Amino acid sequence: MEIAIKEKNIPLTDAKTVFEKEFMPHLDALYNFALKLTADEDDAQDLVQDTCLKAYRFANSFEPGTYAKAWLFRILKNNFINDYRKKSRGPSKIEFQWIEQSISGEEESAEPAYFADLQAETVNDMLGDEISAAIQSLPVDFRMIIILCDLEEFSYEEMAKILDIPIGTVRSRLHRSRAVLKVKLAGYAKKRGYN
Amino acid sequence: MKYSCEHYSECLKLIQRVLDQEVTQGEKSAFFEKKENCIQCQEGYELEHALKIAVKNIGRSLCPDQLFQRIRANFFLLLILISILIPLFC
Repeated sequence: MEIAIKEKNIPLTDAKTVFEKEFMPHLDALYNFALKLTADEDDAQDLVQDTCLKAYRFANSFEPGTYAKAWLFRILKNNFINDYRKKSRGPSKIEFQWIEQSISGEEESAEPAYFADLQAETVNDMLGDEISAAIQSLPVDFRMIIILCDLEEFSYEEMAKILDIPIGTVRSRLHRSRAVLKVKLAGYAKKRGYN
Repeated sequence: MKYSCEHYSECLKLIQRVLDQEVTQGEKSAFFEKKENCIQCQEGYELEHALKIAVKNIGRSLCPDQLFQRIRANFFLLLILISILIPLFC
């Protein structure tokens, strides 16, 4: 579902106000998201810069006073998906498949039976770097949704708009992402000898 | 008090929705009441809660200052160009 957008010039004073008030406060969050997606500082900076340029170009599709953060995150996500497709950095077949599924909104019909032998105490004892590494090792659409939900605290409805998927898919994808994350953390915990 | 839950996979989805604050007050109250009588749901809730907090606490990277300045500079350059070009063509 693509929102029809028109590229128009907006009055300069309005553009400056919109930019300063609505867009700039979210730069840290945008950069953080970009970095988690790309795992590369230079790529993350390029992605954020492209996102801001596109946000200005299509500022007419944004209503001041509405939730700029979700709108900006959607643009960034789309930029990332487009760049990911173009750049031949040898994404693994599985990762590319995840990207394609996330674009088309398809989901696997049967949920995988992931059961992790993990306790709350173990998670509490783990270092932030270990949690970070586990998240980075997730397929990109799983990583995306966990960051949007648990780090950026978007609602399911907002995530559905950012990712351009139905709310039901948001729920099921979150559920599967967390299941995979728990399996990964259980593996890390076992290797490092956590009880 | 039960030690295993016959529909744990459904309960786990509800646990996640409760923690994501995507349930009604009624659903939340019903869940907490049920949780009191089910050890597996209690442990599941604690694990999901711990996981959510762990992700939240992984820390954020701040936008580098030079990127912040570059975006601002590019934006205002764009505005200046537009303010010069529009009168030429209109």
